[in-house]
Amino acid sequence: MLLNISTIVFAASITLFCWSCYGRFRLLLLGRPENRFNDVGKRIRGMIYYAFGQRCTVSHGYRFGWNHLVLFWSFMILLIANTEFLLEGLFPDFISFSLLPVSVYHPLAVLIEIASVLALLAVCIAMIRRLAFPPSYIEARSRDAFIILGLIALLMVAFFGLHASEIAQGSEEAASYMPISKFIASTVFSYVPSENMGGYISAFWWLHAIVLLGFLNYLPYSKHMHILTGIPNVFFRSLVKVNTQPREEFKKGNSFGVGKIDQFTWKGLIDSYSCTECGRCSDNCPATATGKLLNPRLVIHDIKVNLLKNGPLIAKKKDMVLPLIGGGEGSVSDEVLWACTTCGACMEVCPVFIEHVPRIVDMRRNLVEMNAKVPDELVSMFENMEQRSNPWGIVPGDRAKWAAEADVKPFETGKTEYLFYVGCFGAFDARSRKVSVAISRILNAAGISWGILGKDELCCGDSMRRLGNEFVFDRMALENIRIFKEKGITKIITECPHCYNTLKNDYRQYGLELEVIHHTEFISNMIKAGKLKLNAKDSGNVVFHDSCYLGRYNGIYDAPRNVIASVTGHAPIEMERRNDRSFCCGAGGGRMWMEENTGKRINVERVEEALKKDPGTICVCCPYCLTMFEDGLKAKKADARVQVLDLAEMVSGALK
Amino acid sequence: MEEEKKIRKPRGVARLIPGKCIACGARCQSDCPEDAIEMNEKGEPVINTAKCIGCRRCVKICPAQALEMYFTPEELKIIAGLAATVPEVVTTVEPGIKEYRGVWIFVEHTEGKPATVSWELLGEGAKLAKTLGVELCSLVIGEKVEHLCQESFAYGASKVYLIDAPVFQHYRTETYFRAICYLVEKYKPEILLMGATGMGRDLAGAVATKIKTGLTADCTGLDIDEKGYLLQTRPAFGGNIMATILTEKTRPQMSTVRPHVMALAKKDESRTGTIVRESMDIKEEDLPTRVIEVIEDATGEQLDLAGAEIIVSGGRGMCGSENFTILQELADELGGAVACSRAAVEAGWMPAERQVGQTGKTVRPKIYIACGISGAIQHLVGMQGSDVIIAINQDNKAPIFEVATYGIVGDVFQVVPAIINNIRELRERKVDK
Amino acid sequence: MLIVTCIKQVPDTTQVRVDPVTGTLIREGVPFIINPYDTHALEEGLRLKEKYGFRVAVISMGPPNTEITLKKAIALGADEAVLLSDRAFGGADTLATSQVLSEAIRRLGQKEEVAIVICGRQTIDGDTAQVGPGIATRLGYSQLTLVDRIESVDLKAKKIRVRRRLEGRHEIVEAKLPAMIAVVKEINSLRYPTVPMRLMAEDSKATLWDNKIMGLNENTIGLKGSATQVRKIFSPQRTSGEIIGDGIKDPKEASRLLIERLIEKRALSI
Ligand SMILES: Cc1cc2nc3c(=O)[nH]c(=O)nc-3n(C[C@H](O)[C@H](O)[C@H](O)COP(=O)(O)OP(=O)(O)OC[C@H]3O[C@@H](n4cnc5c(N)ncnc54)[C@H](O)[C@@H]3O)c2cc1C
Ligand code: SF4
Ligand code: SF4
Ligand code: SF4
Ligand code: SF4
Repeated sequence: MLLNISTIVFAASITLFCWSCYGRFRLLLLGRPENRFNDVGKRIRGMIYYAFGQRCTVSHGYRFGWNHLVLFWSFMILLIANTEFLLEGLFPDFISFSLLPVSVYHPLAVLIEIASVLALLAVCIAMIRRLAFPPSYIEARSRDAFIILGLIALLMVAFFGLHASEIAQGSEEAASYMPISKFIASTVFSYVPSENMGGYISAFWWLHAIVLLGFLNYLPYSKHMHILTGIPNVFFRSLVKVNTQPREEFKKGNSFGVGKIDQFTWKGLIDSYSCTECGRCSDNCPATATGKLLNPRLVIHDIKVNLLKNGPLIAKKKDMVLPLIGGGEGSVSDEVLWACTTCGACMEVCPVFIEHVPRIVDMRRNLVEMNAKVPDELVSMFENMEQRSNPWGIVPGDRAKWAAEADVKPFETGKTEYLFYVGCFGAFDARSRKVSVAISRILNAAGISWGILGKDELCCGDSMRRLGNEFVFDRMALENIRIFKEKGITKIITECPHCYNTLKNDYRQYGLELEVIHHTEFISNMIKAGKLKLNAKDSGNVVFHDSCYLGRYNGIYDAPRNVIASVTGHAPIEMERRNDRSFCCGAGGGRMWMEENTGKRINVERVEEALKKDPGTICVCCPYCLTMFEDGLKAKKADARVQVLDLAEMVSGALK
Repeated sequence: MEEEKKIRKPRGVARLIPGKCIACGARCQSDCPEDAIEMNEKGEPVINTAKCIGCRRCVKICPAQALEMYFTPEELKIIAGLAATVPEVVTTVEPGIKEYRGVWIFVEHTEGKPATVSWELLGEGAKLAKTLGVELCSLVIGEKVEHLCQESFAYGASKVYLIDAPVFQHYRTETYFRAICYLVEKYKPEILLMGATGMGRDLAGAVATKIKTGLTADCTGLDIDEKGYLLQTRPAFGGNIMATILTEKTRPQMSTVRPHVMALAKKDESRTGTIVRESMDIKEEDLPTRVIEVIEDATGEQLDLAGAEIIVSGGRGMCGSENFTILQELADELGGAVACSRAAVEAGWMPAERQVGQTGKTVRPKIYIACGISGAIQHLVGMQGSDVIIAINQDNKAPIFEVATYGIVGDVFQVVPAIINNIRELRERKVDK
Repeated sequence: MLIVTCIKQVPDTTQVRVDPVTGTLIREGVPFIINPYDTHALEEGLRLKEKYGFRVAVISMGPPNTEITLKKAIALGADEAVLLSDRAFGGADTLATSQVLSEAIRRLGQKEEVAIVICGRQTIDGDTAQVGPGIATRLGYSQLTLVDRIESVDLKAKKIRVRRRLEGRHEIVEAKLPAMIAVVKEINSLRYPTVPMRLMAEDSKATLWDNKIMGLNENTIGLKGSATQVRKIFSPQRTSGEIIGDGIKDPKEASRLLIERLIEKRALSI
C-alpha cells in the first residue's frame, strides 16, 4: 500500500519535474538559431576540463571556490544515489543498489557516505559564509539561496536517518560500508528497540522522498537552475575568444539588435538560465566597481526574468508585458547598457562561460538602430564617423599631418610589404601622434618595408561596432576592405589595440584574412630576431597596464612585458589586477566618446592602483589607455612625478 | 557679308583651369547660351567643345576666373596675324538708374539705445558719399527716437529721415520694413547700409526682396569702382575666400556690414543737418506679429555660452576654483562668458554645463581665450571653429598653440591681469579724449 | 497642415583648404553635406510634426545630386521631398533663390495648407541669412528669424509664439500663421536616423520640379534673376598662429601687443 502510494507520488513528481524542465526548455526555443554544435569533441573535452574540473571556480583565487568544487562533486555522486532512490520509488521491486554485485555496491556505498558528509559540510560552510561574510551583492543572502541550501542539508539528514535506522533495524546488509550511518545508528538509535525502527525508516524514507521531490520541483523555478543548465552551457561555450560581434543583414523588413527577449539566440537565453549568481563578473567589472548602474550579473539575471515573464506569453502569441530595455527587474536600462566598456573582464571570469558583452551590444544595437535612442554626445560622434570617418569630425585631409614629423613613405601597391595603420588617435591626437612618430622610427630601424595610407586611411569602425551602430560599422568595414583589396594590402601593423582587434577579428567575418600585428608584438618579434638593437637602461619603476583589447581580447600578455624587460633590463612592476584580470582604463566600448557622470571615474580608480606601486613610468600600449592614464594622473596631481609612455616610445628612446 | 570676312577671328572654346573652380552654383552653365556646359558631381563645369561657340560668356561670369578660352596653335597663328587690325569691342553697361542718389545708413537701436555699428557705418558712408559726391543720410525709425537724429549729425550725416510713432516701439520686421520700403521708394537712395546684426540682417533681407534689389551680406570692405558701383567685399565659404560683389542693374545697392570692422566716425556735437519727418499709416491691429516680452540676457557669470561672442575659458592650469574669478573679470570686461575644459569640471571648479569639448558644448565665438588649457583633442573639437583663438599657456609645446591665432607663452596669473589692466587703461584714455 | 523645411546642400566648407602658394581653394575630396543649420530646421519641423501632427515636406534647390541630401531628410522622418533643379535655377543669388523657393512653397500650398516654413539661420557657404527673409517677404508670411525656441503653436487661433535670440537679449514674439521661421543651432539637438528608416529612404524618390513644371519667368530666377554679381574672388590674408611677445619675461608688454593686434585686426573694439 505504502509503496503503491509512493509510486504514484513519485510518478507524479517526476512528471511534474519533467514538465517544468520542458517548460523552461521550450522557452529556449523561442530564441533565434545559432550553431553551437560544431567541433563536438572539443566541446566535450572543454566540458570535462572546465565543468567537471571546476576550473574557473577554483582558479582566480576565490576563497569559496573549493567549497563549490566539493559540493559539485558530492552532488555528482549523490546524483547516482538519488537516481537510484527515485527509480526505486517508481519500480520498488526491480531497482535497488542492493541488487548490484557487492564488489560494486560496497565501494559505492562508501563513496556515497563520504559524498553526503562532504555535501553536508559544504552546505553548512556556504550558509555560514552567506551569514558571516556575505558576498558583495545582496541576493546571495536571499531566501532562495537558503531554501536550496536548507533542502540539500535536509536531504543529507534524511539520507543518514534512513540508513542509520535501517542499520539499527539490522536490515542493511552493507552496514559496515556505511561508517557514518552506522555510527549514527549506534549512537542516536541505540536505545530505540529494533522492532520500532520500521516507523523511523518509513518516516525518514518519506522525508527523503519529499525533500528530494520538492528539491527537484523547486529547482527549475529557483535561481539554482544552473545546476541543470550549467554543464550544458559549458558545452555550448564559444570555442574562440569572444572578441567580435555577429554581423547583421541590412535588408528591408529586418529588425536589428535585440529589443525583445525572443530576438536573442537560444544561446543567449540558456546563458541566463545558467548563471550561478556567483558574482565573479560583477566583482571584476570596472563599471560596477566604480559605482555605475551596470552590474553584469544583473544584466544576465534580468534577461532570465524577462524570459520567464514574457516567454510563455510569446509562446501563446500574446503581447509581452515586460520590456527588455527599460529598467526595473527583468528589464535592462539604457544607462546600464551605455556604461559597459566591453572590457571583457566579466566573460573572462565567468565559470559557466556566459557571454555578457555580446548581449549588451545586442541591446545597444536595438537602441541605436531601431530606436535611435542614444546619449547626445554620440549623435555628433556618429555623424562625424559617417561623414568624416573619425570620431571628432576633423577634416580627413589632416590625417597625414603627423607624418611631417617623421620619416614616412606612402604605401605603394606591390612594393610595400607592411601597412602601418595609424588609426584616428595616432593621426589626430597630439599626444598619440608622438607615438606614431616613435613607431615609425622603430619600423625604420627594423629595416622593413612599410608605408601609410595617409589621408586615404579611414577609421576602422571599432567604436561604432561596440556602440551598437552596426549599420555604419558595416559600411565602414566594407569601404576599408575595398581599399585593402584594391591596394593589395595583406600585412598590417597597428598602433591601437582596437584597430588591431577590428581588422583582425571583426573583418574576418567579411572573408578578409589579414596578417594583423600590433606594434607590441611586432617590436617583441623584432627584438627576438635581433633586428632591433636596444641600449637597455634601467629607467626606474615601470608599471605596465594591460589593454583589454590586446590582453583579454587577443591573449597578448607576454610580448609587451618582454619588450619592457629588453628596454629596462628587468621585468615591469605588476599591478594587483593584471593579465587576464587586468582592470580596464575606462575608454573601450565607445566609452571614450561619452561623459562619465556616475560614480568614480574608472581611469582614476586604475591610476590609484598604479600609483600604489610608486612608478616613475606607466607603460601602456593603447592610445585610449594613454589618454585615460594621463587624465587620471592629472586628476590625482601626480603628472609631475609619473609619466605615461607608450611601449613604442620607450623602445624608440632606447634604440641604438 | 560672308565674303567680306574671309579670315574670321577664331573664337576658340572655353575650358576649365584645373583647381580654380569654387563650385559657385553653376553660374557658367546658367549663362551659356548653347547648353554647352554640364556640371559634374563636384559641381564643376564640363564643357562640350562641340557645342561651344566661343562666346566667352562663361569666362566673364565666372567669379573665380576659373575658365579661359582655348585656341589651337593654328588658331593662335591667325589671331597673331589679326591682332593689330581688330580692336577689342568694349561694351559698357548703362545703369539707367541715375535718379537714385545718396548714401543711406539705417540707425539701429533698441528702444532708443543706438547700436555702435550704426556710427561705424556713418564713418564708412561718409567716405563713399564723398567719392560719389552725394549726401550722407541716416534713417531713424522708432518711438521717441529724435535724439538719434542729433547723434547722427554728430557722426556725420547731413540729413535724417525720421519716422517716430508708437507702433515702432519694438523692432518688428513688418513695421520697419514697410517704413523703409516706403522711404526708399519715395526718396530713392543709391546705397543703403545696415549693420550685419541680428536685426540688420532680418530687416535687410526683407527690404531687398520687396524692392527686388541686390543685397550683400556681412561685408567687411566697401569701395566705389570707376563706374560708380559699390564694391562690396565679404568673406564666403566659411571665411576661406573673399568675394567682391556688386549690384549692377538695380538700386539701391544694399549691404549689411559686419560690426567692429569699420572705423568709428569722429563725433562732432556741433554738426547739424535737416530732419525729414515722415509718417506711416500702420495700425497695430493689422500687424501679424507682437513682441510679448523682452528678456535681457543675464550678464556676468550667468551669461549663456551659446550667445556669447567672447569666451574666456580656463583649464587645469587655473589651479583652483577661486582663480576663475580673474577669468570672470576679464570676461566681464569684454562682455563675454566664462567656460572651461573638462579638467576644471572634474576638479569641481566649474559646473558641467560650462564644459567645452567633445562631451561638452561646441562653441564658435568671435574670440575664444584659452587660459591654462593644454589643447587636448577632446577640447579642441569643441572650440576650433572660433574666429580668433587666443592661447595663454606656460608650456610652449602645448598643442593649443597649434590652433591658436595668437598665443602668449607665459603664466596665466600674470598675463590675464595684465590684459585686464591694459583694456581698462585704453578705455580710460578713450574717455579722456 | 504642412510644414515646409528648406534645406540646402553645401560643400563642407570647414574641410576646404586654401593652397598657400596659389591661393586657390582646394576642394579635392570635400564632400557635400546638408547645411548644418538646416539640419536643425528639419529637426524642429519633425518635432512639431510629432507634437501637433503636421506633415513635413522638405524642399531644396540645387543640382540633381541634391537628391542624396533629401533622402537623408526622409530617413529622419520627413514625409515628402521636392528637388528644385534646373539649369535655369543655377547661379542664383538670394533674391533669385527665394523666388524659386517661395514659388515652390506656393505650389505645395495648393495641395495642402502651409502653416510654417522653417529655414536654417544661414548657410555655411553663402553665409547670407537672406533667403529666409526673402521667402517670408515674397509669400507675405510672418517673419521670425534667429528663433531659438518655439514656445507654442495654436492651430485654432493660427498663432505661433517663439523666442528669438538677439544681441544681449531674447524676445518672445507672437505671430500669425503662416510664418517663416529661421532657426539657430541651439534650438534643438539632432536626432539620429533609425536603420529601418534609412533603408526605406534609400528606395524613396524626391519629386523633381524643374522649370517646365514651375514655369517661372527666366528673368526672375537663376543668374538672370540675380541682382548681385560676384565680380571677383580672392583668398583672404590669413593670420596663421603667431606667438606674441615674451609672456614669461614681460607679460605686460605681451598683453599690450595682443590687445593692439586684436584691435588692428578688428577682432575687438575698445
Ligand atoms: C562667394 C559668394 C558670395 C555670395 N554673396 C552673396 C551675397 O552677398 N548676396 C547674395 O544675395 N547672394 C550671394 N551669393 C549667392 C548665394 O550664395 C546664393 O544666393 C545661395 O544660393 C543662397 O544664399 P545662402 O546660401 O546665403 O542662403 P541663406 O540665406 O544663408 O540661407 C538661409 C536658409 O535658407 C534656406 N535655403 C537657402 N538656399 C536654399 C536652397 N538652395 N534650397 C533650399 N533652401 C535654401 C535654408 O533653409 C538656409 O538655411 C554669393 C555667392 C558666392 C559664390
Ligand atoms: S565588459 Fe567590462 S564593463 Fe562591460 S559588463 Fe563586462 S566587466 Fe563590466
Ligand atoms: S554571469 Fe557568470 S560570473 Fe556572473 S554571476 Fe553569473 S555565473 Fe557568475
Ligand atoms: S564660351 Fe560660350 S558657348 Fe562656350 S561654353 Fe562658354 S558660354 Fe558656353
Ligand atoms: S562659374 Fe566658375 S566657379 Fe562657378 S561653377 Fe563655373 S567654373 Fe566653377
